[in-house]
Amino acid sequence: MIKYDSVTKIFGVGKEAVTALDNINFTIKKGEIVVFLGPSGCGKTTTMRLTNKLDTITRGSISINGESIAEINEVKLRQRMGYVIQEIGLFPNKTIAQNIAVVPRLLGWPRHKINNRVDELLHMTNLEPGLYRNRYPAELSGGQQQRVGVARGLAADPEIMLMDEPFGAIDPINREQIQDEFLRVQSKIKKTIAFVSHDIHEAIKMGDKIALFDNGKLIQYDVPEVILTRPKNKFVADFVGADRALKVLGLMRVSEVTNFKPQNIIAGTDNAQTAHKFLEENDFRYGIVVDNNKPLGYVTLKNLKYENGLVIDVVENYPHFEEKSSSLRDVLSYMLMHTLMTFCVVDDNGDFIGTVSYNDIQRAVKKSYSDEAEKDWKEV
Amino acid sequence: MGIIFKKLNRFLLILILMGTGIIAERVGLIEYVIDPNEYPFIIIFFWQHLILVVYSMAIATIIGLAVGIILTRKRFKKIAGVVMYIISLGQTIPSLAVLALAMSFLGIGTKPAIFALIIYSILPIARNTLAGIIAVPPYLVNAAKGMGMPAWRILLEIELPNATSVILTGFRVAMIINIGTAALAFLIGAGGLGDLIFSGISLMRTEQLLAGAIPVTFMALVADFLCEILGLLIVSKGLRLASEH
Repeated sequence: MIKYDSVTKIFGVGKEAVTALDNINFTIKKGEIVVFLGPSGCGKTTTMRLTNKLDTITRGSISINGESIAEINEVKLRQRMGYVIQEIGLFPNKTIAQNIAVVPRLLGWPRHKINNRVDELLHMTNLEPGLYRNRYPAELSGGQQQRVGVARGLAADPEIMLMDEPFGAIDPINREQIQDEFLRVQSKIKKTIAFVSHDIHEAIKMGDKIALFDNGKLIQYDVPEVILTRPKNKFVADFVGADRALKVLGLMRVSEVTNFKPQNIIAGTDNAQTAHKFLEENDFRYGIVVDNNKPLGYVTLKNLKYENGLVIDVVENYPHFEEKSSSLRDVLSYMLMHTLMTFCVVDDNGDFIGTVSYNDIQRAVKKSYSDEAEKDWKEV
Repeated sequence: MGIIFKKLNRFLLILILMGTGIIAERVGLIEYVIDPNEYPFIIIFFWQHLILVVYSMAIATIIGLAVGIILTRKRFKKIAGVVMYIISLGQTIPSLAVLALAMSFLGIGTKPAIFALIIYSILPIARNTLAGIIAVPPYLVNAAKGMGMPAWRILLEIELPNATSVILTGFRVAMIINIGTAALAFLIGAGGLGDLIFSGISLMRTEQLLAGAIPVTFMALVADFLCEILGLLIVSKGLRLASEH
């Protein structure tokens, strides 16, 4: 847990004094990723540099698990925190293994323990230890270097990680991948992470919470959904962008809006005419064909009308199926692409578990905003 | 075309070697060198010269490195300009004048010669140490600091290794200047190969002059070569790979 208590930072003295941070108060809970977000010069990086004493605090205090950092030796303090920077900063004169081993060596770990840890971390970051251990940073691609950078930050298994735009220097495709990998690792290791970013997409994706800074002030500190659905002022609304409803969709999972008991289910082995009758009687425009608990596709009334064989012969295939964990933003995108209003949701085995429709998504978005509107009204 | 040029090169080299041999014979160099009354002196002068160079370079390297390192520390950065100016004065003064000045308060012999050579060799080493350390990307130092490396470890593990090739260039320049200047040490009674050169000039004995000048040239070439080998040994492979990219 990191607690920021009326933190103020002023650079310079007298007439040239610049207030970089003005009375910042917030707390990062244990195991959470908090993204420090804002335009450049807003104070997000300064906040991070104060946390590991790379800059000294002017007023206020920062405490870690209740212990003020003012009382901890700066070198000891930094060794307790993993540190990952935008420029990666791998030491070009050291091998990958030596780079990762920097902090464990500072802490005086025995050699075999360091070696084991290096291999473990290389495995975790999807780099084959035998292949990469003795290579030099110059021999790695940018993405691989940043993976090593993260591994180096994690080396001594610190409770806290400070990450200063760690994926900023990587091309967009690799960035997505590394972000996903990092989230997967984080879900296991549960570090307390302060993460500086200027990218709202990254913040929404990575952050359990977002701390939005502007001009040295903490403007809003909340979970991404609330930042998106209820921006505190015009600055926040502008910063998150006019497409914030779409960004909210990016945060919602298919499982939140799945209809687990759709009525218009037809078995693939049914006779086409029986199916036609069933749809007509219930006033369904189409039916979803499921065979052996696997979704096959859909049939419309028109498909079935003059067909005498089995339903399975006339079924229209879905271009793909949605998983429970896909984001609604992706689902909506598929709907627009294929002009389909409904998709099947499947579990990890590919078994049919329900449907997700355009109306469900629309309702969910509306609800997330109306919830907020209601809260607003109550507060007034 | 390239191949022909290369072959031509080799041919030229052989021609030059042959020519040198003939000239050496004609001016009496070979006779001089194998003369039992002369060659022990050549060896003694060579050793004297080598000792002058080794001692002065060793001390100059220590001082140059120390000055360069100290001037890059945060506390002393402000005075770096002034200090470098003072050191560069040492090189602005003509080499002969430095020797004369050293002699005026240290007397004659090896000591003032070594002193003068040190003054003369510090600048390239100190300047390149300073430049090399300043050229280390700030984010590397920032990363090291942020991970909790103490300042002395940052210096030893990050700053110096990353500045090595620049420092080595300075060392090489200092060494070459030093070997050349040490030939003047004879003038203040420190011996060295300068003895043969200056006596040769005075006596108009070309063979004696060459017996001094050729070993000096040879020493400089070997020193240059050794510096290159040293570079391969002490500059991290990772840095060499990085500069190739």
